[in-house]
Amino acid sequence: MKSTFKILTMGLTTLMVTFLVETGFAQQAPTAQDTLMDRITALEQQAFIQKRGEDHFMLAGLTTFGLVTNKTVNTLGGVRTTTRTSSFGNADTYEFSPMLLWRHGDKFLMEFEPAFSNDGLGVNWADVSYFAAPGLIIRGGYMVIPFGLYNKRLAAGWIDKLATDPIGLDIPASADYGFEVMGGLPLGDMKWSYDVGVFNGMQLLPDGELQGAGITDNNINKTFSGRIAILPLSNSALELGVSALSGKVGDEGSAYTASRANMYAFDLNFIQPVKPFSVNIKGQYNIMNVDRANYVNPNDNTQSYSYNNHSTSGFGQISLRPAFLNNTLKNFELTYRYASSITPVMSAWGQNQTQSTMGLAYWINWRTVLKVSREIVNTNSTVNPAITPYTGISNSNSWYLQFSIQL
Amino acid sequence: MKTLNKKNIIGILVASVGILLFLSISGCFVSEKVAAKGGAQLWAENCQRCHNMPSPSTFSPDQWETVGLHMQTRAQLTTPERDKIVEFLKQ
Repeated sequence: MKSTFKILTMGLTTLMVTFLVETGFAQQAPTAQDTLMDRITALEQQAFIQKRGEDHFMLAGLTTFGLVTNKTVNTLGGVRTTTRTSSFGNADTYEFSPMLLWRHGDKFLMEFEPAFSNDGLGVNWADVSYFAAPGLIIRGGYMVIPFGLYNKRLAAGWIDKLATDPIGLDIPASADYGFEVMGGLPLGDMKWSYDVGVFNGMQLLPDGELQGAGITDNNINKTFSGRIAILPLSNSALELGVSALSGKVGDEGSAYTASRANMYAFDLNFIQPVKPFSVNIKGQYNIMNVDRANYVNPNDNTQSYSYNNHSTSGFGQISLRPAFLNNTLKNFELTYRYASSITPVMSAWGQNQTQSTMGLAYWINWRTVLKVSREIVNTNSTVNPAITPYTGISNSNSWYLQFSIQL
Repeated sequence: MKTLNKKNIIGILVASVGILLFLSISGCFVSEKVAAKGGAQLWAENCQRCHNMPSPSTFSPDQWETVGLHMQTRAQLTTPERDKIVEFLKQ
């Protein structure tokens, strides 16, 4: 019995050991199929995590910061007065503007750019674009209006080669509420583009000046603004643009209801290699007319005055960059710009102004720049002295040191 | 200039757009020379008219898709130009 029991015990023990060893071996050494399945599962999880959705959020933006020192000499009635300032940042030399881009598939794009500057917290644009078809984009919201070249393309600190904006381009207001359609289309070796829209427009102030009407229009009329451009060279090196804007500007129900503003702009942008330099020429010329009207004399409500409400402004700029050199010099760019702004003679804000700006930019990389600019602005008051005090002739001399980056 | 009113302005612009659309549609479209351009060439030609040429390494492929749409609204690029430039920058 004992031997039989012993044999049975040994047999069972052997079976158990064999089972345990085989089971254990199977757990420790998976088959190639198991390994493959595990790998597929891991890849599936990885692919799920990295799956591209239709929505894509992106935060970009820019910041510009700098130092400006200024000396202004004003001559009035033979008396010269001099003022000096030195500041970190002003409207031209400080801006922090993060930009949110939200793409939904490849048909919708929302853009929102708040801006913190010397003027406080504001919004540069907040709009949505629908890419309806090749050559057709429909956009609505608060956007840069299609008028001229500078405000839409060149105003950003990391794009502008100089520290300041050209004078006189703030009318019409650069951004407004409305709708626009735009697109670029080929034309043989050339191409052309259009950008037209309707907006709330501008508001006529009691002295005949204009300001943006804002989100609540001051009348029931809408302002039309558009720009057509042609790029006649096959390498797109030259762009010529023509813009027009027209709309009523008087408050609804006021004596100025029928007053209309008509504006035109002509612009040019040309880049050409002249080895070892890259030469870039830009320019824009604005013409602004507002219907003649009688305005109330603020110093005597029984009297009125009138003037030809015609303004012009424009700039021409040339820049040279030795882009074809293979040393540090290729990062420097020398720029000169001349600008002029003439507002209505005998108005409350009449003046002839010229702005001459020379600057040297050092491009740290394609979107980061350090600029030194010298600017001289001469202003000759042409106001109606019965309405507002004559301010004489002034000469403003400024130095700018500015850093700008796009992120 | 001062004699132009709103109707004149709109008329001139609508006529201009109409003429250019007609020319675009009536067989001119795009020349073989322009159609053959690659993304790198279009990137070099179009970007630098306003700003320096962006480095492809600046953004991820998904971000370049978004930036491409944004820049098309700014520079009025044609759609084939945008697509080719974005494809080049995504590489």
